[in-house]
Amino acid sequence: MKTPTDTWSDRSESLALALARVGLGERAALETLYKATSAHLFGVILRINPDRGQAEDLLQDIFVNIWRAASGYDAARAQPMTWLTSIARNRAIDSLRRRKTEVATVSTHAVDDDGDEHDLLAAQPAADGGPLDLLLQAAAARQVTHCVGELSSEQQQCVALAYYQGYSHTEVAQHLTQPLGTVKSWVRRALLALKDCLQRADGTPA
Amino acid sequence: MDYSRPERAERLAAEYVLGTLRGPARRRFETLLPAHPALRQAVAQWQQALVPLATSVVPVAPPLQVWQGVQTRLFGAAAAAPSLWQRLALWRGLSGFATAAAVAMFLVASQTPAPQAPVVVVLAANPQAALALNASFVASISGDGRALVLKPLNDLSLEAGRALELWAVPAQGAPRSLGLVQGAAATTLVRAQLLRDTAAFAVSVEPQGGSPTGAPTGPIVSVGKLQI
Repeated sequence: MKTPTDTWSDRSESLALALARVGLGERAALETLYKATSAHLFGVILRINPDRGQAEDLLQDIFVNIWRAASGYDAARAQPMTWLTSIARNRAIDSLRRRKTEVATVSTHAVDDDGDEHDLLAAQPAADGGPLDLLLQAAAARQVTHCVGELSSEQQQCVALAYYQGYSHTEVAQHLTQPLGTVKSWVRRALLALKDCLQRADGTPA
Repeated sequence: MDYSRPERAERLAAEYVLGTLRGPARRRFETLLPAHPALRQAVAQWQQALVPLATSVVPVAPPLQVWQGVQTRLFGAAAAAPSLWQRLALWRGLSGFATAAAVAMFLVASQTPAPQAPVVVVLAANPQAALALNASFVASISGDGRALVLKPLNDLSLEAGRALELWAVPAQGAPRSLGLVQGAAATTLVRAQLLRDTAAFAVSVEPQGGSPTGAPTGPIVSVGKLQI
């Protein structure tokens, strides 16, 4: 019988194993997990909360939380990185209070620490993992990237600002200098369109 | 707010995952999740759909003190400072923490009990896995460590297509599967040495037929440690 884990990459499987062992209280497994995932999670947090001090505290909180919650992790419901990244994003979003809106050109490009520009909407699989891992990650990323690519430019900007930077409707509206209602409508339509496109890509009925 | 209307629930789940659901509405949504499996399912689907976007985020190595801080908070000050006692394999995995929600407890030394004396272990329900299943068991192991009887202590309502699997957990290293167990009746199993290199027993929820990977994949619903 095919299970959800049948199509996982080696990396996903080894992360799931580490999570199971963390759930059973093995400290070494937590360290394994930390070494494998903390840099990615830190990157995700920093995009949402760029304050280094807060981001470091958040990362610490997150791994303390992972230690306690890992025994509830269910591989049938989510891939390990999905579970971990969602914990990180939720914590990071919760950590935001009022935030100064930067006055900047709206862009779906970002400049990273090396000064290299890259497209936030382009799929760049993580540098680790074997070819299958990259392929599987890229496939999933390609699907969502393709679907985001089908959105209107305004919808894309909303999705990018919300997902990567953790902007609220209000912050997106201020950033794009658009009425709040307009932004909410763009977001709503974007999500509907994404869902439709992803289901078509999956082959499942909408 | 009416969370029962599917389109509304779906939209809220999507906005929660995207990040545009904020403030009191977000907190309200989060408190509702434990009681609404359909909502949790919608959230899981959106997370699965959108998380691949995060693969393009550039990783940033965190400073060393973050990991040290994690260790200190979880395992006490001695854990973070490199010291002789850390190098003793004997202490590896021994945790001094004890929280109300403590799930996993590792003993250092496994030992064979005196012959003839049966060993009884209560596997308490794990609150972290309560959303999946509330399950507690009692395991009786024969003194020679060759037979184990596992009895559920409460009525289990296991989802269709899922199974329960029993694990022997060593102080260090991978858990060993002891096979599938029943949720509604006692299970007896016979092995060569159930107590050798075993610090605890645990039950996880797995797909029908058991774990496809040889390690637990589902929530660990119940754990009981062997007392020295």
